[in-house]
Amino acid sequence: MPFTRGWGQTRSRPKTSIFRSEIMSLVQLYIPSDVARFTVSQLGEMGLLQFRDLNDDVSAFQRSFVNDVRRFDELERKLRYLRTQIERSDVDIYDFFNEEAVAASRGPRDIDDMEEKIGAHEDRVLRLTAAYKDLQLKHLELIENKHVLEEVSSLFVEISGRQQTAAAPASASGASGGGAHDSVPLLGRSDSLSRRSIGSLDAAYAGDAGGYDVEGGRMGGGHDINIGFITGVIRRDRVATLERVLWRSLRGNMFLNYVDIEEPISDPKHDEPVYKSAFIVFAHGESLRDRATKISEALGATLYHVDRNAERRQEELIETMSRLDDLQQILENNNAARINELTNVSEQLNTWFTIVRKEKAIYHTLNLLNYDANRNCLIAEGWCATNDIPAIQSALHLATEDAGSNVPTVLHELRTTKEPPTFVRTNRFTDGFQNIVDAYGVPKAGEVNPGLFTCITFPFLFALMFGDLGHGFLMTICAALLCIYEKKLAWLAKDESLRMFYTGRYIVLLMGIFSMYTGLLYNDIFSRAMSMFSSGWQWPSDQGGEGVTVEATKLGHTYPVGIDPAWHHAGNSLLFTNSYKMKMSIVLGIIHMTLGICLQVPNALYFKKRINIVHVFVPQIIFLFSIFGYLVFAILFKWCTDWYARDAAGELTHISPPSLLNMLIYMFLSPGSVGESERMFRGQAALQTVLLMLALACVPWMLLVKPLILRREHQKIISEGYGRISSHVRVSSEDDAPGGAIIVSEQEEMQEDDFDFADIMINQTIHTIEFCLNSISNTASYLRLWALSLAHAQLSEVLWTMTFLPTLKMSGALQPIAIFCGFAVWFVLTFSILIGMEGLSAFLHALRLHWVEFNNKFYDGTGTKFEPFAFKTILDEAEE
Amino acid sequence: MKEIYFNADAGYLEGVVRGYRDGLITAPQYMNLTQCETMDDLKLQLATTDYAPFLQNEPSPISTSTLSARCTDALVAEFQYLQQNSAEPVSRFLEYITFGYMIDNVILLITGTLHERDTHDLLEKCHPLGFFDTMPALCVATNVQDLYNTVMVDSPLAGYFRECLSAEDLNELNIEIIRNTLYKAYLEDFYSYCQSCGEPTSSIMAELLKFESDRRTVNITINSFGTELSKDDRAKLYPRLGNMYPEAQIRLARADDMDQVKSILEQYGDYKRMILSANMNASSDSAGGSDMSLEDIFFANEVQLNKDAFEQQFHFGVFYSWLRLKEQEIRNIVWIAECISQQQKDKVNKYTPIY
Repeated sequence: MPFTRGWGQTRSRPKTSIFRSEIMSLVQLYIPSDVARFTVSQLGEMGLLQFRDLNDDVSAFQRSFVNDVRRFDELERKLRYLRTQIERSDVDIYDFFNEEAVAASRGPRDIDDMEEKIGAHEDRVLRLTAAYKDLQLKHLELIENKHVLEEVSSLFVEISGRQQTAAAPASASGASGGGAHDSVPLLGRSDSLSRRSIGSLDAAYAGDAGGYDVEGGRMGGGHDINIGFITGVIRRDRVATLERVLWRSLRGNMFLNYVDIEEPISDPKHDEPVYKSAFIVFAHGESLRDRATKISEALGATLYHVDRNAERRQEELIETMSRLDDLQQILENNNAARINELTNVSEQLNTWFTIVRKEKAIYHTLNLLNYDANRNCLIAEGWCATNDIPAIQSALHLATEDAGSNVPTVLHELRTTKEPPTFVRTNRFTDGFQNIVDAYGVPKAGEVNPGLFTCITFPFLFALMFGDLGHGFLMTICAALLCIYEKKLAWLAKDESLRMFYTGRYIVLLMGIFSMYTGLLYNDIFSRAMSMFSSGWQWPSDQGGEGVTVEATKLGHTYPVGIDPAWHHAGNSLLFTNSYKMKMSIVLGIIHMTLGICLQVPNALYFKKRINIVHVFVPQIIFLFSIFGYLVFAILFKWCTDWYARDAAGELTHISPPSLLNMLIYMFLSPGSVGESERMFRGQAALQTVLLMLALACVPWMLLVKPLILRREHQKIISEGYGRISSHVRVSSEDDAPGGAIIVSEQEEMQEDDFDFADIMINQTIHTIEFCLNSISNTASYLRLWALSLAHAQLSEVLWTMTFLPTLKMSGALQPIAIFCGFAVWFVLTFSILIGMEGLSAFLHALRLHWVEFNNKFYDGTGTKFEPFAFKTILDEAEE
Repeated sequence: MKEIYFNADAGYLEGVVRGYRDGLITAPQYMNLTQCETMDDLKLQLATTDYAPFLQNEPSPISTSTLSARCTDALVAEFQYLQQNSAEPVSRFLEYITFGYMIDNVILLITGTLHERDTHDLLEKCHPLGFFDTMPALCVATNVQDLYNTVMVDSPLAGYFRECLSAEDLNELNIEIIRNTLYKAYLEDFYSYCQSCGEPTSSIMAELLKFESDRRTVNITINSFGTELSKDDRAKLYPRLGNMYPEAQIRLARADDMDQVKSILEQYGDYKRMILSANMNASSDSAGGSDMSLEDIFFANEVQLNKDAFEQQFHFGVFYSWLRLKEQEIRNIVWIAECISQQQKDKVNKYTPIY
């Protein structure tokens, strides 16, 4: 428990380790209001203090600094606007970052300056963009006009051209067309026109169109029909709709022709360039033309006037072109000015963004503080590591100097019963492992942090399932590259799918190294065996024939490291490795769980709960050892005995190797007797009986003793008259606190919960049953080490024999190519399936063994994470 | 059996829409909204809701109409996400939902054209969910025949238009008749489509659509008082479904004043309770004035029904319900915003709470 002390005194620093979380202090700061901003800014740079919200009951917009927050919100919006403009005009945003301006504390005047600058820039960009858009609209109009003129002329030309070619054979039909409508004075050529127009053509407008063509070519005297046309530009996907609607509403008394404009037109109304078509509609009579106009405009077309005279069209086109050129010039100038302006902005943009975000964060934090109008100071409360208090002190001094004030900020510690947040100091190595633990649960303050053990046990358990020297080597190389070039590769952390590998690079590195080690023990390299030393077995030189069983003879020595390579091709190699790996899993599992149970001891010592050692830890460990500890002993005993040793007479000294599974089962079923096939040593039956008795005795011990003791203690307290006092304890600042006793901390409720025996009893029952059952099921759960390891070895062997091995056995000229291909297939599959997918699955199983089998023995994981106010995290979040 | 395959087609969308539902503004958030003093406060408060991305780039003095437009943008964006990710049969169901908006748009355009308003202004006012290709061409229609032949014939609403063709020229009354006839046909069609979707969609949508149709029936009745609409014509506008179909509809068709409507409604348990809490005097159909107008009561009831739709799984009703709830939420926000901008804080609590 931290105590308040005067700050002149030296204090003994609590040691820092990953074994337990940091010791935290609740500190109170009295910040004179004129240095408040500097102080919070300084603290944000340090990132050591987690502020508590002292205005919980005040809604967001009623807090003191909401106007400042809003001001920076507005600034941020302007910056966002500028950034979108910059991105849209393809100006590069400079990576340049004015470190000095960002890091130094900014006075209010700097901020005002910046605000003014940003405002001015925004104004200018707004104006330039508006002007640019205006010009673009005009430009668009001209371009469209140009296209209309060009395309419509081409339409006219096309129609008249076709007419001339069709003139001779179509005179008859022309006559009939003309005959049908006597108002049509000249050639009517329905057949020549129907190609690109819609649906059925009326002879009438065929004739009308003909009239125009004539006009285009030779000036037609005597055309008196009231025919008109409208021309315009419309989005290409709307043409069909326009055609259909016009056709329907004009009852077919129209003729529409259109030409696609090849190049996309950039329309300021849309972000992207759009494809458009120029169209021309001939309609009969004023009212129909009006209707067509109305409809096309409603459908989003822009109409342009086109003269019916070809020469004047030409003139107009030329004029449009020249105006277009002029406009182009202006547009370019304007754009250059705009780009220039945006380039100016882009140099500062990142700096400004950072400053604005920092300032906003500062005012958000200031909103958490309590304002004391009498003393003109702000009162902050927050958590920090006790070790960091000197650092915070110096930051406060710095801030006071920055502000040029001589009223210092005062810091003092509060005594509290509040549960502090958990702060585990990690480095880049331990960070990944701590993340694994935090994903399960953040340790309670003071609780033993499994993260420390996870650093080694996690990669080790993984490696047991992934044991292969070759695969481990590849994994180690990948991870080592990540670790060596971690600064250069930091961008990986920004990619969502690669982040996992990047942040876990040290985990992967250890996993790879441990896999190499277990691979060495399993004597597996890409599923092949290595003969580094001479084997302890010898195969007979006479191989016999196909299908003849041969037996290796045992030589005098044992293979020094790992499994003898002679097993590798033996027919019973699976039997051997299975038995070996299964037993190994059990042994390691029991050791792992024992470690978990033992970790209750430091927890109990720390929280001063002796009862947890004597009446929880001891019976648990006895229970586990008397059953599974004995099993481990039996396994080791069996390994150490030569079951085929013969005595001097050449008789077998032992009957046969005992079956351990049966032994364990009959230990429960028929206590006191050991069958012939399970006998290992003298006195076994008696020992087993004693162990069984011990285990059974532990059950009521675990179940009853602790609740009964608790009840007795409680009754003692009651009988002494201490029960049911008001549980409100006032936390006040110490008397020697500067500025007297301003009580900011609200009244805190001591967590003196009511004693409920039934509750405790039920809990204890559940815990006991769970422990007893779990000791069996968890032990069995560790068998996954064997299963996964087996699967991995078999899979890699299958891959080897199916893909690469056949190519080695081939002969002929094609063999090199086959080897090349075979190797490629084998290597890719090895990497993706064996290392990628198998690695992932082994990772998950190792994770489970830690979260479930290990953690549930001692770990609560009910803490809350320490989240200090730091600009770094805030900026990182904003980046995403 | 249907439930087994439901998630294959609609599981993702249902998950998404339930997520949307959880994003709806809750009671404490409404509390905070109503306490705002200025529009800026309101904007700040809305920054913690799903509307944040649509509001954050608006310059600060924000107007109610912009707010409403941005909120609708949010709704449309979410609905379009659903539509883009949907396959049969959900996509068909979602299409059906949009038909209602199409009807509103059509009526808006016709009315606007009748009053010679600018087409582009009108187009901007149209609900984006009810857009269809040929819609802008509506502005040239001057009579019903024309309307149908020119525009409506290849819109999804063509089938609903058949019954309107008897009307001659476009005037206020006829437009209103067209609106209600269209809506009637739409509701009936939607209802029969939902019935073909099988349980539990059919029963849940039946509940919702029956309520909708009852509400329309009552509204048509009340709104037709004092107009030249004949009682026979009135009866023709009632959708042929709902809890009040057919017997109460027959009687409503003959009703002459509010009291008669009231006495007819009282025979239905649910509606009786509604009426008791509503202030059923002459001004009740014009919102405001009384404590809770009939319209508000209907809204409140609708919200309840839509919330209930989320209690079941494996049906399409959630899409419909979510859209209705979201619309109600936008109405609420706009109401609160109006109250704040017009300094009418005493009325600010008259929104319809959802969650």
